[in-house]
Amino acid sequence: MAAETKKQEREVVLSVKDLKVNFRAYGGLVQAVRGISFDLHRGETLAIVGESGSGKSVSIKAIMGILANNAIIESGEILYDGKDLTKVKEDDFHEIRGKRIGLIFQDPLSALNPIMKIGRQITETLRLNQKMSKEDAKKRALELMTAVGIPEPEKRYDQYPFQFSGGMRQRIVIAIALAGDPEILICDEPTTALDVTVQAKILELINQIKKDRNLSVIFITHDLGVVANMADRVNVMYAGKVVETGSAEEIFFEPAHPYTWALLSSMPDLHTKERLMAIPGTPPNMIYPPKGDAFAPRSEFAMRIDYEQEPPMFKITDTHAAATWLLHPKAAQNGIEMPAVLKARIERMKRSGAVNG
Amino acid sequence: MKWIDRNNLPEELKNLPDSSFESLHQEDIKDEKFQTKPVGFFRDAMIRLSKSKVSMISVSCIVLIIILALLVPNITGYSFTEQNLGNKNLPPKIQGLEKLGIADGTRVLENRKKDALSDPDRYPEGSVLEILREFDSKGVAMVDVKVDYYKYVGAEDNRYHWFGTDYLGRDLLTRLFQGTRISLMIAFFSVLTNCFIGVIYGAISGYYGGKVDMILTHVAEVLDGMPYIVVTILFMILFGSGMVSIVLALTITGWIGTSRLIRSQFYRFKGREYVLAARTLGVPDLTLIFRHILPNCVGPLITRVMIAIPGAIFSESFLAYLGLGIKAPNPSIGVLLADGQKVLLQYPYQTLFPAVLISLLMIAFNLFSNGLRDALDPTKRGEE
Amino acid sequence: MKYVLQRIGAMLLTLFLVMTLSFMVIRLMPMSLFENPEVPKEIQEKLEDKFHLNDPLPLQYYYFMEGIVTDLDFGISVKLRPGLEVFDIIVTRLPPTMLINFLSLFISIPLGLIFGTIAALKRNTVVDHVISVFVILFISIPSFVFASLLQYLFTFVWPLFPTLYESTAVTVGQMMHSLVLPIVALSLGPIATLTRYLRGELIENISSEYLLLARTKGLTKTQSIVRHAFRNSMMPITNTLVSLITGIMGGSLVVENMFAVPGTGGLLTKSIFAGDHFLTVAILIFYSAISLVTILVVDLCYGLIDPRVRVGGGK
Repeated sequence: MAAETKKQEREVVLSVKDLKVNFRAYGGLVQAVRGISFDLHRGETLAIVGESGSGKSVSIKAIMGILANNAIIESGEILYDGKDLTKVKEDDFHEIRGKRIGLIFQDPLSALNPIMKIGRQITETLRLNQKMSKEDAKKRALELMTAVGIPEPEKRYDQYPFQFSGGMRQRIVIAIALAGDPEILICDEPTTALDVTVQAKILELINQIKKDRNLSVIFITHDLGVVANMADRVNVMYAGKVVETGSAEEIFFEPAHPYTWALLSSMPDLHTKERLMAIPGTPPNMIYPPKGDAFAPRSEFAMRIDYEQEPPMFKITDTHAAATWLLHPKAAQNGIEMPAVLKARIERMKRSGAVNG
Repeated sequence: MKWIDRNNLPEELKNLPDSSFESLHQEDIKDEKFQTKPVGFFRDAMIRLSKSKVSMISVSCIVLIIILALLVPNITGYSFTEQNLGNKNLPPKIQGLEKLGIADGTRVLENRKKDALSDPDRYPEGSVLEILREFDSKGVAMVDVKVDYYKYVGAEDNRYHWFGTDYLGRDLLTRLFQGTRISLMIAFFSVLTNCFIGVIYGAISGYYGGKVDMILTHVAEVLDGMPYIVVTILFMILFGSGMVSIVLALTITGWIGTSRLIRSQFYRFKGREYVLAARTLGVPDLTLIFRHILPNCVGPLITRVMIAIPGAIFSESFLAYLGLGIKAPNPSIGVLLADGQKVLLQYPYQTLFPAVLISLLMIAFNLFSNGLRDALDPTKRGEE
Repeated sequence: MKYVLQRIGAMLLTLFLVMTLSFMVIRLMPMSLFENPEVPKEIQEKLEDKFHLNDPLPLQYYYFMEGIVTDLDFGISVKLRPGLEVFDIIVTRLPPTMLINFLSLFISIPLGLIFGTIAALKRNTVVDHVISVFVILFISIPSFVFASLLQYLFTFVWPLFPTLYESTAVTVGQMMHSLVLPIVALSLGPIATLTRYLRGELIENISSEYLLLARTKGLTKTQSIVRHAFRNSMMPITNTLVSLITGIMGGSLVVENMFAVPGTGGLLTKSIFAGDHFLTVAILIFYSAISLVTILVVDLCYGLIDPRVRVGGGK
């Protein structure tokens, strides 16, 4: 955790400020992202964790400028390299995508063009928009393919996606994302669609590449387990808001928000003898986001104020904060603590050193 | 959002009442209850369908045409076979509208000898309405004259043919809706037989799989390879014209699409756990096919039927143009169109009405089947 | 290579079936031509000789097939042009039909592609809705209804074109003047079909994951649509081409007759009316052969473009 103290001096490469994104839908305006802010520092891995519909994918789509047509960025800015990405025109955005910020998709099976040779899919941008010669582009593609661990790249270069396995395809997708030599890599649930055995290898590869190329990584996932070994910092999102933010260690060892507690409790591990906890209830309808704390209806620790007023971010340490009224001094009188099961689990995690630090 | 220091709370947070922080012990958090009653797949689809304006307009259009087809031939007072050679090719004449100058039973006769106008045998009393043009042709005075055609041919005063009459003096309104009746019947029966054969063939093919499937699929493929039009024409020549042979000819290759659809649905569903469970319980094949798997095919099958109906109407008209239509004196929309086409430039109304009707029918069926498909398959919503 | 042979084999089998069916029509028709008193004596004798009527049916079948395969001998016209070789009649009638069919096809394809692309790119705008309205009209209304409408409007109300084919036409220009309306009537449906199909395909491809990847890796919107969405949408369109071709050819049978075009389509209608079965059957075999070859070409092209077929392996 030495990194923690250095963090303040680290350069911020990407900064999201009070971003709000709405979608026009049949039923009305869906408030998918309701004012999130975070900074990405150079060389760190920032994980954004939340269940589906929490707004994590929408946020990164906003960063990449690939929001669907019915999306409206209501307010906020995304600062990168002195520019506000929310104001960059579509015609200029390709200068940033791929070259500066790369993206790895959730589903490698459908992310590759089925009728284009993978070699061409890797070199396409290099040839078209970076005016690289054919030979140079191919040389670079082969290097990348080797780097992401594809055997016999020469032979594979002229093959089609359907000739690759799922894990291999994800490696190709990573190679494509790296082709433009970006400084930020965004991974949108990169292992969800893959077999468990392959998952670990891909995660390892991403970690490896990050170190080799000094990338800053945003890692989107709904699975806290994946984050433990990857992330330096974690943002937990719920109902379009960041409800808790902190270093990986803080989130795992000293979680403060009931939703984070719930997430941690629902994580399967080998030692838990008790029944695995599921998070009760359903996520809120984001056309009519609830007043107060959006998680309150699903939380066993809800207090009256949770239904009345939205909790602010309470600072816990310099790097750790959570939006829950439980952190208000007056709530402490109630003596609410995290569930005992979770406490035991955290103790085990601490001992085994399962968390990145 | 600014982070709040807990040891240094801003005023508005410091003064929150203690009662706000009372714990609301929610012992039992349930998954959100649905406010509405559970809705079955078909109910749901029907609700979606009824919300689509286009689908509702087209289905009303179809229903209206069907009602007219059932009703009109019985209430016009003319029979669809009744010939009246004295009253042939009468233009449309409709009570009420005639005063407005539309459908008033008038025609313009061109290049008539002016002298003949005064001959009451050729131009009965009151038949000449207006002389539009007088000119001279090789020394003979000629006119273009607008006549009340009903009076001109000597028809009774109370005779009205809303859509006019054809070359045999038959009432076209009666014939058009009698024709619609027949065309719809042909479409209905051909689609029904197609479904019947297609479902059985596809079900056997899909359920048993393996060699049976391979052979059946190959047979269907070879049949399907033959150009549809060619096969239909050859069969029509073989069977001779008539309603039954048209239905048969449309069935020859028409069932293949249905069987393919059913086969793929069977492949999808026969491996499902509930089917396997039923099988291990000893449920016989036929029960499995009809009770457990076939119901899954109903949605796509309905959509297919709705798409096939306009196709059959089209094919029937097509055959009529080739002289392979229904046997005279029975009309069908196609027969009327083909007959009308022969005198298109002289009597355009004889083509106009069947043309409008077939277009309406085709458009309505196409729009409705689009709507139905979207309703049954919500994921495709908004596409196309 | 195996794929090519398979396709050719399937085509030959189909053609064989069509010919068998044709033989049945000729031989099994009630009121056979061979006993028809209307048919002149010398022609009847010629027929008897040609069809080996005294031999058993299977042998007749063999001679029939052999005649077609070795000599392109389809028999003799009985009613329309008594005594003339059917093959010769058809050959003289082919040019206008080919002209109509191919021109309709070559007009429909680019227009369909253009409108389909516009509709997909301008999805859910006024332009798209207007195109959709026309698409549903043109898909629904049969080509012969359009032919009537065009004939009435443009040869009678505004006489821009001849009502019937001008038999004096010699140059291609003169022929074209007579053929404009039938070609337009035949093209409207295919244009609409293609527009609808391409629009659907493009929209699906534009909203696909791989297009998103193409954009996030740094291609411009135009580049990604042209190089990925458009290219991939063209792939399944070959299937639509097959139905377009058969649709145009079928429509042409009727429309040619309506405009009195001296092509095989008109000839078919006349021969059916006259009961000149040799002619009818021969034209149908011709139609089958032409459409099957076209479909074969389309299929083979598809195989060449789609790596999943070419390289082998599943989807």
